Amino acid sequence: MSLHGGRSALAVLALVLPLAVGAEEWPDTEWPRSEAQAPAEALRAFEAYTFPPRNDEKPTGVRTDAVVVILDGHLVYERYTGENRVETPHLTWSVSKSVMAAVLGVAFKEGRFQLDDTVAQHHPPFAAHPDIRMRHLLPWASGLAWSEGYEASPLKSSVITMLYTRGRDDMAAYTASLPAVAPPGTRHVYSSGESNVLSASLKSMLGDAYADYPWKALFEPLGITSAVWERDTSGTYVGSSYAYMTARDLARVGLLMQRGGRWKDEQLLPPEWVRMNLTPFEHYVPDPRATVAEAIPGGHWWLNRAFKGAPRPWKDAPEDAFAALGHWGQCLFVIPSEKLVIVRYGDDRDKSFRQNEFLARARAAFVAGKGAP
Amino acid sequence: MRRAVKKGLLAGVALLLVGGGTWYVANREHVSAFQGVLSAYTAKEYCSCRFVMGFSEKYCLGYARQYIPYSSLQEETDARRVTVRGLGLSSTATWVSPREGCHLIPATTP
Repeated sequence: MSLHGGRSALAVLALVLPLAVGAEEWPDTEWPRSEAQAPAEALRAFEAYTFPPRNDEKPTGVRTDAVVVILDGHLVYERYTGENRVETPHLTWSVSKSVMAAVLGVAFKEGRFQLDDTVAQHHPPFAAHPDIRMRHLLPWASGLAWSEGYEASPLKSSVITMLYTRGRDDMAAYTASLPAVAPPGTRHVYSSGESNVLSASLKSMLGDAYADYPWKALFEPLGITSAVWERDTSGTYVGSSYAYMTARDLARVGLLMQRGGRWKDEQLLPPEWVRMNLTPFEHYVPDPRATVAEAIPGGHWWLNRAFKGAPRPWKDAPEDAFAALGHWGQCLFVIPSEKLVIVRYGDDRDKSFRQNEFLARARAAFVAGKGAP
Repeated sequence: MRRAVKKGLLAGVALLLVGGGTWYVANREHVSAFQGVLSAYTAKEYCSCRFVMGFSEKYCLGYARQYIPYSSLQEETDARRVTVRGLGLSSTATWVSPREGCHLIPATTP
């Protein structure tokens, strides 16, 4: 049954399984489905914001490629636009970082490293930075110089240099070659390089087992079949940027996190690891000049916390909401208290998409009781 | 009066040359690396757009377009290879495998 037909999708989503009280549903090869409880008016408002008419010749405004909504383990809504299909493995850009964090969580459970290990123990080029530890990379706080600008400042962008020019053959070694500008663990500077250092560290820990590891450790247990993960020339998975999967498959990573790192009967990610993922980096300083409040960095995830006097970034979503976020509007939102997981893929080429606005309308449409006038 | 204007113009041009030269020396490394971004970015992201995400040529041409135009883009559909020339440099990306998608071929030839 194909569901990628736009508005007709809702009609097709008519009940398959009633929500049994207390029963916990998990996706097998397919997601269990449930009738959307969406009030028609709230759903129209959600779609009007999320799927405005789109022009590929002049790419401006909100340009959503796909949305999948999971409520309490059930697929309640999905819609795809343009050439996007149910089976399209969409580029996730920096959502890859949070997926890499989940892969690392399995390696952590297997005892392959400790958070207090020095990075140099696992990635020899970091011998130049002997005080940087694994725990410093997770909230992007190594203290190494980095500039994470894309289109706005391409000339001096470290991420562009890493992905496309001097750094591209060995992205982690390029990152290691940068100078330290702050003591490790004292300052958050968002850095794609650090995510690739984590990926390269995993490569050293695993040796030949690295090639299959993201699949064996994470994708296969979760039933993810569409994943593609591109590597640099040195063979390191580009943990910062280049994981692809269908929206339905990315929602599985969301459900894993919504349920505290547990998948069915298995605690895939240790509670200690998930706690680290969802703890705000203590030395983070919210930018008072930001016109749109930015999510608070946790351990390779982004958090909706009121922090150091700054309001929470998504004021219309509960404080336990968190997300994996990527370039051009890729989002995986998780709200455990509402059992809600939302994947939103996009191709936003300007800054008009507002995460808070999207979440407000999604909650009104899909979370029972939130859509009442 | 006219001489003063001329003098001012000359000073302005000299200042621009010195300033521009100083900027170039300070940013030389960035500038020379940046020259390769356009072809590399376009080749890699177009390759992934076509052969990983499976979108059409028409869509991917728009998807991979940047504000500086490239001079040529050649897709070898059967070999799943893409070669792009831009800012005087050329880059090739090629599809590797179903799991590993596309990557840039290391050598960048002038």
